Amino acid sequence: MAQETEVREEEMQREYRNVGKPVTRIEGAGKVTGETIYADDMQLPRMLHAKVLGSPYAHARIKSIDGSAARQHPGVEAVFTPADLPEYKKNFSNRRGVIFPDEEVLFYGQPVAAVLASDPHVAEEALALIKVEYEALPPVVDPITAMEESSPLVRSPLGDVDRSEERGHVTVGVEQEEAEGKPSNIASQMNFKRGDVEAGFEQADVVVEHTWRSAVVHQSYIEPHSTVADYDASGELSVWTSTQAPFYIRDELSQTLGLPENKIRVTATEVGGGFGGKIYLQELMVAALAMAVRRPVKYIMSRKEDMLAATPAPQAVIDLKTSMTRDGKLTALKSRVVYDSGAFPGAPMLPGCLLVGGYYKCENLDIQGYEVLTNKVSVGALRAPGAHNVTFAIESHMDMMARELGLDPIEVRLKNAVEEGDPLPSGQPYPRIGLKQCLEAIAESEVWGRRNRERGTGNRGVGLAVGGWLGGLQPASAIVCLNSDGTINVTVGSADITGTNTSFAQITAEVLNVPLEMVNVTTGDTRTAPYAGMSAGSKTTYTVGRAVKLAAEDARQQMLEIAAKRFEAAPKELEMADGVVRLNGSDEKTLTFQRLGRLSTNFAAPFPAVVGRGAITTRKMAPGFTAQAAEVEVDTDTGEVTVLGFAVAQDAGFAINPLSVEGQMQGGASQGLGIALSEEMMYDSEGRLLNGNLLDYRMPTTRDLPPIEAIIVEVPSEEGPYGARIVGEPSIVAGAAAVGNAIADAIGVHLTDAPFTPERVLRALGKL
Amino acid sequence: MPKQLITLIVNGRRTEVAVEPRWTLLEMVREELRLSGSKEGCGTGDCGACSMIVDGRLVTSCLMLATQVDGRDVVTIEGLAKNGRLHPVQQAFIDTGGVQCGFCTPGMIMAAKSLLDRTPSPTLEEVREGLAGNLCRCTGYAKIYEAVMHAANAGK
Ligand code: FES
Ligand code: FES
Repeated sequence: MAQETEVREEEMQREYRNVGKPVTRIEGAGKVTGETIYADDMQLPRMLHAKVLGSPYAHARIKSIDGSAARQHPGVEAVFTPADLPEYKKNFSNRRGVIFPDEEVLFYGQPVAAVLASDPHVAEEALALIKVEYEALPPVVDPITAMEESSPLVRSPLGDVDRSEERGHVTVGVEQEEAEGKPSNIASQMNFKRGDVEAGFEQADVVVEHTWRSAVVHQSYIEPHSTVADYDASGELSVWTSTQAPFYIRDELSQTLGLPENKIRVTATEVGGGFGGKIYLQELMVAALAMAVRRPVKYIMSRKEDMLAATPAPQAVIDLKTSMTRDGKLTALKSRVVYDSGAFPGAPMLPGCLLVGGYYKCENLDIQGYEVLTNKVSVGALRAPGAHNVTFAIESHMDMMARELGLDPIEVRLKNAVEEGDPLPSGQPYPRIGLKQCLEAIAESEVWGRRNRERGTGNRGVGLAVGGWLGGLQPASAIVCLNSDGTINVTVGSADITGTNTSFAQITAEVLNVPLEMVNVTTGDTRTAPYAGMSAGSKTTYTVGRAVKLAAEDARQQMLEIAAKRFEAAPKELEMADGVVRLNGSDEKTLTFQRLGRLSTNFAAPFPAVVGRGAITTRKMAPGFTAQAAEVEVDTDTGEVTVLGFAVAQDAGFAINPLSVEGQMQGGASQGLGIALSEEMMYDSEGRLLNGNLLDYRMPTTRDLPPIEAIIVEVPSEEGPYGARIVGEPSIVAGAAAVGNAIADAIGVHLTDAPFTPERVLRALGKL
Repeated sequence: MPKQLITLIVNGRRTEVAVEPRWTLLEMVREELRLSGSKEGCGTGDCGACSMIVDGRLVTSCLMLATQVDGRDVVTIEGLAKNGRLHPVQQAFIDTGGVQCGFCTPGMIMAAKSLLDRTPSPTLEEVREGLAGNLCRCTGYAKIYEAVMHAANAGK
């Protein structure tokens, strides 16, 4: 394996031919023609369709389930109640350890039984024939009520809680305290303390204290969860599924179903949007059913099922008290951060607690986090899980304090912003980061430029907020092979959810100094690809990209060695450009890649095949920060908020493909705007979801979004390829806070509950 | 369930299909004709991923029954590229970065094509209005607006 090169100053200044250039996606043509195959497009011989029965109660005991009438329905191949499932290692403390509950139903829509038929309509009809007798139990819906000692319990006590999935999104060396002792609805808690907050409040000139609430929001990828599984006569399980985490699914299935990992092939089909929500969910059920019937089984969630029973992002209630001196120095921050985890543990309390006190230098901190269970669907990740909830709180406070002190919101933030070496609330120091640079960049944006101009004109306002994400860390590997015609194949194990394979082609082409067209990249399945962590936590380019670079350097070295032997020269006397290796300055002593390919693949070839290998692990974070500005107009009669302009500045470290980096920034920002303006899953007092469709759950449409301005900032990371750092997630983080601050700029009031619906705006204006 | 024979034109070709009365147009196209480019994102007319053009008008095919297209002319995403050459709207989506996960893309491109058929040189506001029935969760629409403006210019 080649020696890994550090990002050196000269390297940063060198002119690159492939990386750093905007490149269109290598898989684009398949997507615009409809040729790309997603999981639901797969058809296998003898395939059955699964339909799933969901619980009509948020909390209940199943007294009996009778599938006999459904079994009699013409065309039905099989009916599965809990008793009909094959053996698997159940763990009722984790969502991914339960196919159907044996007894206790914990959320509205939780799957309790399934029907298989070759005609999906037939399977659907048969669901109505399954007879379930429930004993309704009191549901607990509100997390703050759930924390009270007098609250009924959400569920039977937790046992063995597994937090491996959350660690894929954010990897920091902090443990949370799992609940023990007296049964309560608090699943876990944590505390970060530094200095003396009370003394800090004393020193300050202004103290602000509020409670900030954000809603349950859904990832709302346009492709619902989709899986096909098959179990063949040789005992091999194949799973094709829309996932960000093929190796993670393989490992989990292996443990739960008791199959060795080399008998499981998980293929991440093209993911029609994931955003953290497509890690591992229905795959276990589909695999178990396929094993039971020994036929391929397809399960596609309906939109309603996806909204009821996938893993949306949690609501949170943040109590925050902060203080500042007249000259704008943050002196103390005290917070209680409560995340509603739903019926199973898995809420992003840890990143929330780290980030609420993680943007600014502050000597006095006291942050208490709670992960609380309720009888709602269990939560999962949505792009920087947990970050937007706390950012809404702290960034509204920064604005309020600046306003009270008559200070400029950018100046106040610059004065306190964290830099390399400053500690996170956990004490861990930041590596090199670009928060300040993002603030400086947003100050130059068109949107922010309108701040003073728009003041006092109608009900327009401009506001800004910062946000950040720490990112996940996992080992990664890659293989780069020279083909006999001189073209290059790259194989990785990471699902490409953001254009990463295009970036890997750029990296490989850069190292080998060839045009991009000579390189192709494949995401293999878990039996053919080298290992990669899940495509979550924004780490794919940061980690797998580094492995690809190493593998390409290794391949390059092998090619140079072949040429060196041919020319009887040393490898360092050779140069490589445009698919040709030549002896320095010589016109005759040249070998094309094609020739090198032949010399290492033909019958009786003198050299072994060129197979470059790259494998890495990293424990160094490359956090990504953003600063965002919003311009809004508030209709004070109807309460409607219109976004007139939005700008995102984000530190990408080094944008390997600026076109996809911009796309990530704009896409994440649009999700942040949805959180700000309209997205909210609404539950009634019985825990039933009231708006489980894409009409009543309002994500932004073209009518809501002006073109979003993307400003790429580049503060190189220490270990990422060419200085690249995490990119995918930070862009969602600051939207609610930026819009909230813009609304306050327009109408003089901060809204404390997101999303800022017309009703809440009118309430804030005292008109309701 | 008894089937009914319908005749229609799909992407320029006369086609006979035996359909169940409960099938939607989307289901017939995807499952029976095996044209899987049109996507189902919701099945309730809210996302536009299933958009097709029927007799020159943009429809959400998940809300139409297959029997309703008897004798009519249906264009799906598969009907846009001609002889291996992408339609200008398709090319523009690639060039501007208007494609990310790609799941909204076929429907979005059908909506964009239908808009440009009606309004060859749209303003940004007209583009935003014309695509309002199609949800995209990945792009924030910015590069999709660019793609449509780009395709409009290319068509001049
Ligand atoms: S699938 Fe037809 S509109 Fe969503
Ligand atoms: S590109 Fe993913 S939904 Fe539009």
